[in-house]
Amino acid sequence: MRRKRLEDVKANLSDLFELPREIMLNLPKISMVGNNQLLVENHKGVIEYTPQRIRVNSTVGVIRMQGADMKLKNIAVDDIIITGEIRMIEFIG
Amino acid sequence: MFFYVLWNYLIGYVVIRVEGLSLEKFINLTVSRGIHLWGIDRQNYTTLTAKISIKGFRQLHGISHKIRCRIRIVDKRGLPFILFRYRHRKMLAAGLILFLFIIYGLSSFVWTVEVEGAEEINPQKVLSELESLGVQAGVLKSDIDSLWIENQLIIRIPELSWASLEIRGSKAVLRVRESVLPPVLIDRDTPCNVVAAKDGIIDKMIVLDGQAMVSEGQTVKKGQLLISGIIEHPNTIGVRYVHSMGKIIARTWYEETVELSLKEPFRQRTGRRSEIRYIGWERFKVPYMKEEVPFLDFDLEVKQDGFFILEIYHETEEIYWERNKHKAKQMLEELANQKVRKKIPMGAKIVDKKLKYDMIGSEKLIAVIYAEALEDIGMQQDIAIH
Repeated sequence: MRRKRLEDVKANLSDLFELPREIMLNLPKISMVGNNQLLVENHKGVIEYTPQRIRVNSTVGVIRMQGADMKLKNIAVDDIIITGEIRMIEFIG
Repeated sequence: MFFYVLWNYLIGYVVIRVEGLSLEKFINLTVSRGIHLWGIDRQNYTTLTAKISIKGFRQLHGISHKIRCRIRIVDKRGLPFILFRYRHRKMLAAGLILFLFIIYGLSSFVWTVEVEGAEEINPQKVLSELESLGVQAGVLKSDIDSLWIENQLIIRIPELSWASLEIRGSKAVLRVRESVLPPVLIDRDTPCNVVAAKDGIIDKMIVLDGQAMVSEGQTVKKGQLLISGIIEHPNTIGVRYVHSMGKIIARTWYEETVELSLKEPFRQRTGRRSEIRYIGWERFKVPYMKEEVPFLDFDLEVKQDGFFILEIYHETEEIYWERNKHKAKQMLEELANQKVRKKIPMGAKIVDKKLKYDMIGSEKLIAVIYAEALEDIGMQQDIAIH
């Protein structure tokens, strides 16, 4: 309960001062270019990787991407670039 | 992105194939150790290919043990591997070094000498003077003391008022400005005449020495004798030769014609344009996206962003603007004034100015300016005594 309130305060603060939410709240930031490139920042590791399905862990749960011919173009400590045909993104809480 | 690829190529990287059961674990562990992976592609359930830097590859040992996977190198790419392949070819390396030395050596000499700005005097004369000062093809650049040579040149060639020697690559460029030589001064003890330097009507005469041959109000022609240095007295038999001097202030006239087209050409963009994109720097550029430029008259716009150069060719056409007649007259007057002022020597005083406008056809306006000036037209000239 207390934790939840702290999160609310942080969210309000970041809104008030126009600070990036993903930094204040430690959330993943996902940006897509068309349907063939996807960047996940602030991830917490790869759980599964096949050309058809990728699951990436994050602070809000697992993010699942489905598609075809997906490749990990670049991977670093806190960001992953996925290329290929992405059909669906799903948050699994 | 381009620099990223280039950088990877320069430091070298390997393509690895990882075989094992928990490949995601392999990825996570590698990344968490700060080893950079890219171009990861899963071939099938148990194999994966990825690219990794040479340094990163060396750190993989512990991981393969922990995860129990087999890592094999599929391909080695980049400059370090190419260099490694040629490590036994000593002559190749020697040739490379020799080449660099030759380039460096040859570029430290001057190979051509150029003179810019010599209009009245013969550039050949300047060149030969430069040669005698030690600037010629084949001279070491470091042997050239520009400042000293510039000074020497100005001393040796009196027609020069300014010189600047600049070494551009393997070219020595001498830029010069010519000076107006002062009139030849005649020694005070030698007898001389004063003659007219130009046509005019004499306004005032102050004869300091010698015999006046003309009087005020008289029209004189260029070269006419004004003050004679030979004085013959009727009372004495002898003839006296003097160094004649004097101020001959005369009215002189200057006429200049200037013209201006009433239809002013104006270039306007039509809106059609072509673009050529280059990658490179200044003159060293390679086009990578090229559109045809199907028009002859264009405006070139160049934009540079880092190493990307964009050239935009805007098609243009000529349009004529009708110039305002009143404005045109004003412009002409200014032009005429400037032109006539250039002609009139420094010491002269402009007394009167007249402007006359005339139309040529319906498109051209001409202006004729007549300026009357008061100036000293006297010029000393040696007397040839036999």
